[in-house]
Amino acid sequence: QTIINGTVTDENKVPIPFVNILAVDTETGATTDENGDYSITIPLNSGVLRFSILGYTPAEVPFDTSGTLNVTLTEASEELSEVVITALGVRRETKELGYVVQSLDSESITEVKSINFLDNLSGKLAGVTINQGATGVGSSSKITIRGEASFSNNNPLFVVDGVPINNNSVFNFTNEAAAGFQEIDFGNGAMEVNPDDIAEVSVLKGPSAAALYGTRASNGVIVIETKSGAKSKGLGISYNTSFFVDSAFRLPDFQNTFGQGNSGEFAYVDGLGGGTNDNITYSWGPRLDVGNLIPQFDSPVTLPDGSIVRGGDTALYNGLPITATPFTSNPDNLKNFYQTGTTFINNIAISSGFDKGDIRLSFTDLRSESIIPGVNLDRQTVSAKLGFRPTEKLRINSTISYINSQSDNRPSNGYGSENVNYSLVAWGPRSLNIDNLRNYWQPGLEGTQQYSFNYTFFDNPYFILFENRNSFNRDRVFGNISASYDITQHLTATVRTGMDYSSELRQLRRAFSSNRFSNGGYAEHDVFFREINTDFLINYSNVFNDFKVDVSLGGNRLDQKAFTGQSQTTSLAQPGIFRLSNAASPIEVFEFESNKRINSFYGIAKFGYKDFLFVDVTGRNDWSSVLATPFSVDNTSFFYPSVSSSFILSNVVDLPELVSFAKLRASWAQVGNDTNAYQTTGAFVAQTPFNGQPTFSNQNSIANPNLRPERTSSFEVGADIRFFGDQLRFDISYYNALTEDQIISLPIGISSGFTQQVVNGGKVRSKGLEIIAGISPIISDNFRWNSTLNFSTNRATVEDLPQEDGRLTLAYSRIYDSQNQTVFLQVDEGGRVGDLYGTGYLKNEDGDFILTDEGRYIPDNNLQKLGNYNPDFILGFNNQFNYKNWNLGFLFDWRQGGIIVSRTRALGNVGGQLAETENRPEAGIVPEGVVNVGTNEAPVYEPNTVAVSAESYYRQFYDRNHEENNTYDASFLKLRQFAIGYTFDNLNFFNQNTSISLSIIGRNLFAITENPHFDPEQLAVQGQGFISGIEDMSYATTRSFGFKAGFNF
Amino acid sequence: CLLLVFVFFTSCTQDFEEINTNPNSPVAVQPSLLLRQVVYDYGEQMSYEGFTAGNLLGQYTTALDFNLFDRHNLKSPQLGGNPWPILYTNLRDNEIMLNLALENETFAVYEGPSRIMKAYMAAALTDIFGDVPYFEAFRGSNATVTPIYDSQESIYMDEDGILDNLDKGIAAIQNYSGTIALEGDILFNGDLDGWSRFANSLKIKYLIRISDKMDVSQTLQNVVSDGNFISESNQNATFDFTDGEPNNFRLARLRIGDFNNFVLSETMDDILTELNDPRIATLFRPFGNSMSGDFNGLLNGIDASQTSIALADYSLAGTIFRENTGALDANFMTSWETHFLLAEAAEKGLISGDAQELYELGVSQAFAYWNVSLPENYLNAEGAYAAPGTSALQQIITQKWIANMINGYEGWIEYRRTGFPQLQTISASLNDDLIPVRMPYPAEEAALNNVNYSKAAEATEGNSINVRVWWDD
Repeated sequence: QTIINGTVTDENKVPIPFVNILAVDTETGATTDENGDYSITIPLNSGVLRFSILGYTPAEVPFDTSGTLNVTLTEASEELSEVVITALGVRRETKELGYVVQSLDSESITEVKSINFLDNLSGKLAGVTINQGATGVGSSSKITIRGEASFSNNNPLFVVDGVPINNNSVFNFTNEAAAGFQEIDFGNGAMEVNPDDIAEVSVLKGPSAAALYGTRASNGVIVIETKSGAKSKGLGISYNTSFFVDSAFRLPDFQNTFGQGNSGEFAYVDGLGGGTNDNITYSWGPRLDVGNLIPQFDSPVTLPDGSIVRGGDTALYNGLPITATPFTSNPDNLKNFYQTGTTFINNIAISSGFDKGDIRLSFTDLRSESIIPGVNLDRQTVSAKLGFRPTEKLRINSTISYINSQSDNRPSNGYGSENVNYSLVAWGPRSLNIDNLRNYWQPGLEGTQQYSFNYTFFDNPYFILFENRNSFNRDRVFGNISASYDITQHLTATVRTGMDYSSELRQLRRAFSSNRFSNGGYAEHDVFFREINTDFLINYSNVFNDFKVDVSLGGNRLDQKAFTGQSQTTSLAQPGIFRLSNAASPIEVFEFESNKRINSFYGIAKFGYKDFLFVDVTGRNDWSSVLATPFSVDNTSFFYPSVSSSFILSNVVDLPELVSFAKLRASWAQVGNDTNAYQTTGAFVAQTPFNGQPTFSNQNSIANPNLRPERTSSFEVGADIRFFGDQLRFDISYYNALTEDQIISLPIGISSGFTQQVVNGGKVRSKGLEIIAGISPIISDNFRWNSTLNFSTNRATVEDLPQEDGRLTLAYSRIYDSQNQTVFLQVDEGGRVGDLYGTGYLKNEDGDFILTDEGRYIPDNNLQKLGNYNPDFILGFNNQFNYKNWNLGFLFDWRQGGIIVSRTRALGNVGGQLAETENRPEAGIVPEGVVNVGTNEAPVYEPNTVAVSAESYYRQFYDRNHEENNTYDASFLKLRQFAIGYTFDNLNFFNQNTSISLSIIGRNLFAITENPHFDPEQLAVQGQGFISGIEDMSYATTRSFGFKAGFNF
Repeated sequence: CLLLVFVFFTSCTQDFEEINTNPNSPVAVQPSLLLRQVVYDYGEQMSYEGFTAGNLLGQYTTALDFNLFDRHNLKSPQLGGNPWPILYTNLRDNEIMLNLALENETFAVYEGPSRIMKAYMAAALTDIFGDVPYFEAFRGSNATVTPIYDSQESIYMDEDGILDNLDKGIAAIQNYSGTIALEGDILFNGDLDGWSRFANSLKIKYLIRISDKMDVSQTLQNVVSDGNFISESNQNATFDFTDGEPNNFRLARLRIGDFNNFVLSETMDDILTELNDPRIATLFRPFGNSMSGDFNGLLNGIDASQTSIALADYSLAGTIFRENTGALDANFMTSWETHFLLAEAAEKGLISGDAQELYELGVSQAFAYWNVSLPENYLNAEGAYAAPGTSALQQIITQKWIANMINGYEGWIEYRRTGFPQLQTISASLNDDLIPVRMPYPAEEAALNNVNYSKAAEATEGNSINVRVWWDD
């Protein structure tokens, strides 16, 4: 018998945990612990120990006596991390897994940092789609994993160091009509995860990988592990700084030939209809740059005393003659409106590992000024991670992060006068000189009367951004404490409790003379969220001859409380005082509190046979309070199992030499999904009081006391095959999932008295293919080239709907409360999730527009399918080159297929602003289409020959009541990120071994896409949610260039 | 330790009933809160509908742009123009109130008002759309969610229909012997006699509305003989808007551009000018370019992309609709409307009475309603009952039409029934120069109540707006 212990490290003396150690020719094995330490008792007096872990070249070391044996392993390949974090935070070798788990290391997340954490993942993970919001820095991004299969909730779960954190986007309360506050996107919860603190991100894509996380895991899980101090022997200090300069990326392509007006005529008097066509700001006016002199809002008015004011200073000087000035084009007016944005991110971290524990403290400061004037985001993150091992058997860990985020202004979303794109793009006349709007008060009326180019519908964009601010200040804390105790060598018990807490105050200010708030307005919006997860886990693991067994039993209690409350007044007593006590009208209050508890028990059994067959079996039972009624808990319990298996072919059969590794895997899983609180009982909702007396109306949704949980069953097969000594690697997964018994708010006709009915029903089949290809064509001492291709395709097809016929509306995006100007996200049997519906103009069987004999299109108000917003496939292509101390990386993101419906196209062309409307022949335009010269019964179509005026043609063709002509192909290819850098290593500062790395970085450098007007990556906001596939008066996105420096002591 | 852990999770569903009890809103409410809601919400919303859509159909005003509805593409409303959900939502809340009154003795006092409101809203619904879901409708939570369409005749005539509910409502009030007062009543402040008079005035109105189909004279004469209808202005079924939020008229809260999109219609201009009617100065304002306070109207239904319009050449609606909405009422039923109805009945011989006297009382009350003093010679000149070149019916309906501005779709409904006042062929019609005679069912019915909708659409030649309703047939 021989007893050997020691430490396994890599070439940099960093300990390697979980290294497999096998005494050759015996059944005896061991693994290294978290610190790379091991101890093994061998029933032989001499022999060979084999040290192996994927990612490193195995080492065989002879022994002939007891004692210490320290081993250094060399890395085989740096590309794929072979030990990944799986459900419940357990680190496992990928070879054992019967499902695909893809992970990213800290370098690939921090190389080119983005402000929203989710954007860091874009293009880097197969099957993961990220879409950024439309309102610049601080916007929400939307993430979906393996497409959208649920009708109601497709959000993945985020878990940081074992504890869930929320990724909610909570919107303010709004009024759908063209009044009151518009929607404002204050960001999504997971945007606040700090890249500098991340050690690793793992994506559990399917239900098989995620089943243990329970009801919220059916859409996948993003598992994040933060950095610890364990790797730092002694004191480690690192300092990183990134600086970006942002500019507007893709601005609308405008026409610059015609200015404000209708029918070629324009003269400004008061911007309210007092002049010629000066009430609305179409650009169907006179030609620009041909020497026309026309009175305009910024033309001078000479007062009787000889002093000069502007034409738009109407509150004091309306009626005085405005001197005509040259009517000229302003091709760069929008470009000049956007400014150069800047982002600074500074991070300092101190870490230390010592004999009984480790510690890491980190502070990150992010300051960003948007390209949108007056818009910014500041974020400070303090985090600490502590590990403490008071005895050999007890381990105590804690992580805590405190984040403060704030912004002076978050710009408004959607169509309407609170969004500056309304008055700059859709309705910004091409004769508008934006510089002349910067001084946005009328003289002597500062604080009470804005100065603008029009007073009918439009606010001065600078006035909107600098006076009508939507600020927020959010405090957030998440973290956990856990303790693990080794009861015996094989039995470990762990308890853990974690919390995610956030509290946010938003203030929506509206100045006097705002179009929607003539006497100003103010709203305070409180958003509170707290979720506490407490769990325990008991683990037994042992090895019996060829068998490895690992069994865990656990339980979890989730307690969640969310509150959102908005108090508002829509007129103020005195201008400039934004307090509810300054209200001039009764204060309106909107409140919603939600409480939820889920209790769970779960178990997982993992079996390994020799080194080639691995099987996992899991089961979980949830009890969810949201399925209870005030009188019954009958439907609250639901159980779901999973099984997965991995078979390592290359360890069993002799494969051709060029195949270095081959693994097959298969899995089947079920996951249940509950819903939001209070769906099981109806309620009455307070309405506008009359003379201070209360009113109540029944809710418009029919509750369902018999709700059952949704259920997703998923089958997944895959293979991991590597060639040429792992230089070429393919990981292929195919999955087929059925989501049924969905909890749906089924729209019903209001003639029933209700608009929605909560029911269970519907089946969605989601199939997809994911291929991760890793290529390392050149690996030499000085030069390395690694590429990863992430390819994925997904189709979610509706197999069944709860109602007898017709389509189910999942969501919509509309202009104001107009049912006509609505894009519907609907599904029908055989259709796909993501199908968009709208209306168009009448066509014949050949697809030609049928025109009236006056050359007019004929509206067809039947909804027709416009297309589907989901891409046919997504391809991310990531490249990394290293030559000596130089590195170069770039990432392409290609999404092919899908459509996007554009409000900018509709409104900008109806308004005569965009380049499409530049061609305006005097003789008019002959609309392409046919005229029926036969009868209704026996139509005979002949090409139309009747011309209509250009204005009439464009206004009808792009009419916002009909979406069919206002869609684009959403495909794009983007250079998502780029970095080139140099590392100075082995420097000596203060007797410390120091390295400095410097790089030049860029994001969103160029894009190839069909539409000339905007970034095709878009999210619209409607009601309380995001709608994909709609461009709704979006702001420009950003192209960023920057500089990054890192110092490691 | 293990044991402790399991104790922690003793019962997996403990407190679930409490946790999933909604803390935000009540599961049941007092009927007074529903009564106030139904009357206020209906009055607020239908007055807004009246301004933005009813006024266009009735040619009081016209829209300058975003005006597909004004060009009689009624399936493309912009602001307003879709009263269907307003009516069904309030019929639902009203039905809950009625059921509370029927099921619970302590709420019995609400039976009369809820039946009267049911009749009132059902009449608005069917008069606007024709055949509609009614007997199976607005009770989706304990009945069908796809109600069948009922004929207008049955909605008027059958048990639990309009006339039946008015009778039962009046009877419930007469028979009420309880001591619990009616609360939440913003029309009559709890005065049950007010509700009786309101119901009888409505009975007069609906009997006359179906008088081409039914012999209503005996029933009508009985109501008139009882004399228990709204006969004085202070008995009107109205509530006041306020100057400040939140109970001001909605056009006061919208953007100035939305208000400025509506100007005086040429039809209204011609009629008021011909009558030399001073109410024009209350209902409208002089156009901006006028040097002498003149009014100017525009023919309805322009094609905005072909027409260059200077807003300053046309009259906007009066300050009462935006700046001074405290002087504006939400109108359910008035003394003047009752008298115009009685004048018509007397003129047609349906009841005995002096039609001219009833007409003149109506005119003077209508002037008072709009806070305009009646010019001394108004009733002897163009406004006279027997003014030359007019008929009595034309005079009665025209006067009622003027006073009914923003009263939902009333002006247009009565035009459809009587042909008065003569509306004009609009400028760029999208309905073959025809004046619509019903509103189309909303598209969502085709999507969500398809089987029943299809039958109703078939009966209206594909949901056509040119197919007359039963009483107009």
